[in-house]
Amino acid sequence: MTPDHELDPLVRRAAEALRRSAAPGPGFDTRLMAAVRAEAARGPIDWLLRPRPIRVAPLAALAGALALAAVVGIGTWAVSRSGPAPVVSSGAPGETAAAVQAVRFVVAAPGARRVALVGTFNDWDPEATPLHAEASGGVWVVEVPLEPGRHEYAFVVDGEQWLADPAAPTAAGDFGTPNSVVTVAGKS
Amino acid sequence: MRMPAWIALLGGLTLAAAPLAAQDARLARLDPTTGAVVARLVDSARAAGLPDEPLVDKALEGASKRAAGARIADAVRALLVDLGRARDALGGGSEAELTAGAAALRAGVAPGTLGELRRARGAEALSVPLATLADLVSRGVPVETAQAVVVALAARGVSDAGYVELRRVVEADIGAGVPPAAAASVRAQGGRPPDKVVPPGQTRGKGVKKS
Repeated sequence: MTPDHELDPLVRRAAEALRRSAAPGPGFDTRLMAAVRAEAARGPIDWLLRPRPIRVAPLAALAGALALAAVVGIGTWAVSRSGPAPVVSSGAPGETAAAVQAVRFVVAAPGARRVALVGTFNDWDPEATPLHAEASGGVWVVEVPLEPGRHEYAFVVDGEQWLADPAAPTAAGDFGTPNSVVTVAGKS
Repeated sequence: MRMPAWIALLGGLTLAAAPLAAQDARLARLDPTTGAVVARLVDSARAAGLPDEPLVDKALEGASKRAAGARIADAVRALLVDLGRARDALGGGSEAELTAGAAALRAGVAPGTLGELRRARGAEALSVPLATLADLVSRGVPVETAQAVVVALAARGVSDAGYVELRRVVEADIGAGVPPAAAASVRAQGGRPPDKVVPPGQTRGKGVKKS
């Protein structure tokens, strides 16, 4: 080791400063232990909220992006398959939205407590399209926007009795009860 | 958890979930066995380039009518076959056209008539004429008469609205007692039907109305 007196004066002064004891000051131990205890007491929320660097391989990042795109794509597709939202014609006839036409369904069901319209336009869901009773006479009515084309339907009375429309053409039923048919013309 | 492992897990879950997501969620209304059969038929339709929505509709109809699973599967299978026949007869078409074509074939219309109608109507959609054809037959108009009427109207350039109106007036005539063949033939020529016969006690005016 080189004796101090042989050192450059600047280096010697720096060495003397480093050798002097650095007093941490009063209460240092207490503050240090409090900080350690606080660190140990942090919960999972703190762990989640605290920013930290993340190391990701480029290939892993690419895989993650593809997986996310697949999830979004499949989700979007599944939502689109869950059935089209009804499009209500709000414009004048002849406009694009007017391709959808409001069709009024009427059925006589005296004494019924509830009548529903089911068909190819509402997934045959008895909860989807209830009819409302006219003031008197047991006549039930509902108006539904339908796209041009052929639609099969039936009425469900009190959730149990399936009723074809006596005033409409029928289609051979595959399940024991016939369906009625309504044909909606397009713009032409 | 290290990031690469997290990504790998997400990717694995995505791949595992893909077949479930691909199955139409509405098929959950069927029992699992029937749902799986219908899902396979839907996949077959997609693979063949046929519309799958009519098949799902048919299955949902069966579910709402509380039909047995085997019967639902049979009905969906039969419809898949009919959609294929309709496409062959029409030389392709939209979902609405194939659905209406399948209905016409089921009503007893000859496949050749679908091709005639396509040629007669050119580029115009056929769903309404085909639906009218099926409706007329279901109302008792002889198949040969209905076919001739609908094809003749197509050759004359009658619009969709014209077909709907024809069906309405023929229906009204039949309801009033006119023989179905006469009603269709006369109305197709723009005439008024002869010899309306209203059976005693018959009432009208109940049922669907269009606004």
